Amino acid sequence: MYSRYQYKAIGGPVMRSVSRMRRLLLRSAAVLLLGSWAGVGSAGESTEAQPEPALPALAFGQSVEGVSDEDLPYVYTQWKNYTVADGLPNDHIFSVKAVAEAVWIGTEDGLARLDKKTGRIQCWKEADGLPWRAVTSIDVDPKTGDVWLALFGGGLARFSGGRFDHFHQLNSGLVNDVVYGVAVENNHIWCATTAGASRYDIVTGKWDVFTEKNAPMEEIWNYNVTYAPSVNKVFLAVWGSGCLEFDVPTEKWKVYLDPDKEMEIDLYRDDGIIHVITTSASFADGALWVSAYFGNCRYDGRHWRGFYAHETGLPSDFTNFLKARSANEAWLCTDKGLGVIADYATDTYVAYYRNADNPGGVAKVSRRGRLLREVPLEVSIAHNFIIGVDFDGDDVWVATAHGLSHGTGKGYYSGVKKDADRQKSLAATIQEKATAP
Amino acid sequence: MFFRGRHLGTEWLPFLGLLLIGIGRSAGAFEGALRHPVYVGVKVCAQCHDGDAMGNQCSIWARSKHADAYAALSKPEARQIAKLSGVPVPPQQSPLCLGCHATAAEAEPWERDPTFAIQDGVQCEHCHGPGSEYADAAIMMNREQAMKRGLRMPSKEECHSCHAPKGSHDAVLKGQRLDMDAAWEQIKHPTPENAEFRKPSFPEFVASPKEPAFVGAASCAECHEGPDQQDHFSAWKRSRHADAFAVLATAEARAIAAAMGVAGDPRTKLECLKCHTSVYHRPASHVLGTASVYEGVSCEACHGPGSQHAQTYSRPQAAEKNGLLKVNAAVCLSCHENAHGKPFQIPDNLAEASHPIRAREREEEEPQYKTPVNLAVSPDGKELYAACEGSKSVVVVDLGSLRKVAEISVGAQPHDIAFSPDGKTAFVSNRLDDTVSVINTGSRRVTATIPVGDEPHGMVVDRRGAFLYVLNTLSEDISVIDLSTQTEVKRLAAGRGPWSAAISADGNWIACTNVLSHFVPFRTPSRSEVTLIDAREGKVTLRAMVPGANGLRGIAWHPSGDFALFTLNRHKNLVPMTRVVQGWTITNGLGILWRDGRVDQVLLDEPGIAFPDPTDVIVTEDGKHALVTSAASNRVAVVAVDRLLKILESADETERAQVIPNHLGKASEYVLKWIETPICPRGIAIQPGAGRAFVAASLDDRIAVIDLNTFEAAGVVQLGGPQVITKERLGERVFHSAANTFQRQFACSSCHPDGHVEGLTYDIEPDGIGVNPVDNRTLRGILDTAPFKWEGLNPSLSRQCGPRLAVFFTRIHPFTPEELSALDYYICTIPSPPNRHRPVGAELTPAQRRGKEVFYRTMTNDGRLIPMENRCSTCHYPPLYTDRRIHDVGTKMPLDEHGLFDTPQLFNVYNSAPYLHNGIAETLEEIWTRFNPYDQHGVTNDMTKDQLNDLIEYLRTL
Repeated sequence: MYSRYQYKAIGGPVMRSVSRMRRLLLRSAAVLLLGSWAGVGSAGESTEAQPEPALPALAFGQSVEGVSDEDLPYVYTQWKNYTVADGLPNDHIFSVKAVAEAVWIGTEDGLARLDKKTGRIQCWKEADGLPWRAVTSIDVDPKTGDVWLALFGGGLARFSGGRFDHFHQLNSGLVNDVVYGVAVENNHIWCATTAGASRYDIVTGKWDVFTEKNAPMEEIWNYNVTYAPSVNKVFLAVWGSGCLEFDVPTEKWKVYLDPDKEMEIDLYRDDGIIHVITTSASFADGALWVSAYFGNCRYDGRHWRGFYAHETGLPSDFTNFLKARSANEAWLCTDKGLGVIADYATDTYVAYYRNADNPGGVAKVSRRGRLLREVPLEVSIAHNFIIGVDFDGDDVWVATAHGLSHGTGKGYYSGVKKDADRQKSLAATIQEKATAP
Repeated sequence: MFFRGRHLGTEWLPFLGLLLIGIGRSAGAFEGALRHPVYVGVKVCAQCHDGDAMGNQCSIWARSKHADAYAALSKPEARQIAKLSGVPVPPQQSPLCLGCHATAAEAEPWERDPTFAIQDGVQCEHCHGPGSEYADAAIMMNREQAMKRGLRMPSKEECHSCHAPKGSHDAVLKGQRLDMDAAWEQIKHPTPENAEFRKPSFPEFVASPKEPAFVGAASCAECHEGPDQQDHFSAWKRSRHADAFAVLATAEARAIAAAMGVAGDPRTKLECLKCHTSVYHRPASHVLGTASVYEGVSCEACHGPGSQHAQTYSRPQAAEKNGLLKVNAAVCLSCHENAHGKPFQIPDNLAEASHPIRAREREEEEPQYKTPVNLAVSPDGKELYAACEGSKSVVVVDLGSLRKVAEISVGAQPHDIAFSPDGKTAFVSNRLDDTVSVINTGSRRVTATIPVGDEPHGMVVDRRGAFLYVLNTLSEDISVIDLSTQTEVKRLAAGRGPWSAAISADGNWIACTNVLSHFVPFRTPSRSEVTLIDAREGKVTLRAMVPGANGLRGIAWHPSGDFALFTLNRHKNLVPMTRVVQGWTITNGLGILWRDGRVDQVLLDEPGIAFPDPTDVIVTEDGKHALVTSAASNRVAVVAVDRLLKILESADETERAQVIPNHLGKASEYVLKWIETPICPRGIAIQPGAGRAFVAASLDDRIAVIDLNTFEAAGVVQLGGPQVITKERLGERVFHSAANTFQRQFACSSCHPDGHVEGLTYDIEPDGIGVNPVDNRTLRGILDTAPFKWEGLNPSLSRQCGPRLAVFFTRIHPFTPEELSALDYYICTIPSPPNRHRPVGAELTPAQRRGKEVFYRTMTNDGRLIPMENRCSTCHYPPLYTDRRIHDVGTKMPLDEHGLFDTPQLFNVYNSAPYLHNGIAETLEEIWTRFNPYDQHGVTNDMTKDQLNDLIEYLRTL
């Protein structure tokens, strides 16, 4: 018998104790409210056809009427992987950032730049002036072209015209040198650090520090920061503090926490953020996507939707990083494979896996946990432990624990497709429902 | 506070002030819940601290010069002193002057109660601390309690903070030094043994309902003060009228009163008060809280209660109808006729007190020099624009007639000019205003002013005329201005001190010099940057490093686009200045930036003949020659480009990197000749197709013309500057001339561009290589910060620039006494630019305010008392933020023989990196994060990061 509801893994020092009686009561309530359903195993488990799960009536977007098993998403089948053998400074790829002319790659021991035109890889290690070996995050200022690097234990660096400028907690107002994430917001550089968030104004030179003193952070361990130009907001993913939203014009904060305040179970589905131990946030086309170590979720401004591996077909709930391509599509970097919420509207997912002993692998297409297709890959992603991802037009770049993967998106399309007109009609219907009072 | 028809609800606001303070105390204030103290003003103090029972303390103060300190700033001497201190505004508006001549000058408006008036000069709270929390009788009876609430009891030693000798004051007041011991005796106001706080029992004020109300002198001062109003208020404040009430506390007054049959304290007797105060002199409806008996015979004693006529002051007839009285002899005689046997002479005594409104006598104006610094030729080749720093203008010269045809006023300290490709617009960078003036060349008028970064210098317009690139020297970045909207669209990171820019012939590349070296590890050679921008994308693509060099200024592209030439210095700052061989202290030359980013360096010096301060460079249209100006030796060098390139091409990589940049024997191979120019040639420009070049002789107010066919001087263009050479001008010329230094190798300006710093640490003394290295210090606004030198060994500028310089710099040609005097005078006038982080009058931001609290804190985060000697404000107090003393703050390092250093001044500290005596701290943060491990330089190790950030934010406002 499968579990009737999803237990969340116990999280570190924020673990709360729940009495045995309370657990029993909660379990009973969950059964009454939610019923039961089957889950899908992770990569490597049996792929025999599973009985159709009796899904609950969840929030908007879950209706899959009019969608057949032939309506399938785009699957990346052309992968090329880069490792030290190809010129990278290190195989542990922490971050990747694609720009018009190049791809910037952050590794555990060095920074690299892949020139898209020539294919040449140029590297910088500490001996070459890189202030610190571990580059956890990269962002590029679209106006100036300056490359900003989050250095894990080394602070922040700007790489411009071949020069590294180093900002750390001793020579600047950066709050802490363990920087997980960096984001460029207009004339500001945001840093997600282990001791709060820092914001640096490149025009005035002023540093701001955001911690529990001046922001709604229950914990201050910032894992990720991202800027959404379309809404002029900055989003922070904070371990133990959910997702924080900073409105740039008003400098007001808003926090997304789990309303049921239960860290061990998802007591009420889709009542809010899936878990407060978040790892990243990404905003696209009006939708906020948030990843956690215990699942992922999406918020469209009114409705939350959570995603668990067992009910979707995603590789794992343990998500290191997430990036949204649109309100309909997001890519999840998990510990057991690369997951894609390929089409939110039709609950369609793709999970990419690499074989243990050869470069090949498989892409599994699922809909609401039910496997629809398995697409064999002659060359798959470089490794199943995924740390970062970025989009490059129709292509994707994936940072893994053993190399960088480049997925060529020739013929890419969003959503699912069998009949293009039908797809448009379905999308229109869904949109109409979404905006209905 | 001020009347303007607003009644404050009680007549005796000072008493209300005390009352409110008392209510606050009794309403539950408890130990530990201390509020931030604010200034209440002397009138509140006087409620208790006057009268016989309190030793007439306030009256003693009122008769002292402290009470007149603010008013003294209106004197002509004050204006002269301000100028010598590099203060560009009237003294009564300058925080630097007010810091010693007033109270609470550095406080924010909310830190001053309505009862406080800055015009009361150096009041009680200047020495005793802001009084809002201790000005309560019960608290004052307990000294310890009072001191916990902010009461200070200063010693004579602390008077040094304002009364230490200042060069500016000595120069004007001609040695009228203060005898501290005598002055201390004069201002002493001890509390009697049987002191008793009690409110003075003044006679009942009889109201005349139909009359206006008294508003007080400070209210009048809102309008009747300042240069435009002949400083009426200050004139009164310095007069004996202002002391009229205070003198009633003297023994002489008692004797006079007794002789008149008036017993008791004359200060409380109507017979005395009616002539010694305004309040009891004339009928009035009431006395607003802004007026007081303590101000003696103030404006309204003669001119009538002012509550109504003050609102109509601009209309004299209406003012008269509203109570403004005409003043004539009768007004004076009503008190002065036969007063106490003291004769009153008309018109002499009348004239002494009168202050008519008349046109101010024009003080002898200093000649205004043009000081052209940079030139640009219009695209059509018909006109030459000269940026004239001294006259805040651009002079237009017709190149046909070689005559000045126009002068256009722009911002302060204009520096560079750039034309749009169509020639219809000219842009001028104003380095003191942080703006760019936009000039319509047809109408020759400024049509717009664009704000940019800090201290803009060089500029360039891209070939399409779409973007203007402005180099902000102080903020170390480049503003990119979209010329269609005339707004800044982005800010590019530059090197340190971006100075000048040049665009390649194809328009694709903009090369920018940076005048300061990058921060380098301690005791390693300089490393400067030439920044290369792809003009097509508006992004920095390359930062070419120039090893061993700094002072990169002028730059020009070769017509081929293969390389650019730029001027440079090579400072030998790591070896003692006693080491003369191999170029001594500074060698001067050219850099070559190749398109692939490689850099070569060559010298323009020859053995025994230096080429000091190479400032600007151009390349002739045929690419065969380069002309370089030497601002410190009044020459232009003509360089044969092909010969120079041949030398480089024939050398191997090692020679190019290590030998040629230091080779004094090479210049003679490619320097064809020198052309003598007028004084201090800086900017140079070519007139296309005409075979002429023009040189801005900045300290001669002339433009030199050079024939490019013969490379001879071909005339000058007069810009119309004064012919007389003032002391300041002479000093400026000495400052920019290498004539006196050994081997004519450098001028003061070489290490102090724009009177500031080049950011290097020097090894000067012959005490061992690398021993006692010292960071260079700015010359902006330094006059009153003696002693000089990091060890504080030089008590004056004349010693610093005279004997000391003679030992190391000038050697065999020390300055003559006239030159030295002029040089010192000029240095003192170098203005300190406005603080960009807190414009005058602006309130502190929340972060700055929090930082100020950190700066002035007396307790650590965990409640421990910080010893007085270890608080920031003990050594760094306003207005100079230096106590001008020597201290050991734990910054001695292995190469230092001792750790005793002069306390540096902090104003504009944000732009004087690096820090500490040896320049080892690259940023302000590092002073405490890296170099204060034992809390000897203030207690900082308990601070959180955000506290330190806030402190830094506050320091940037000083």
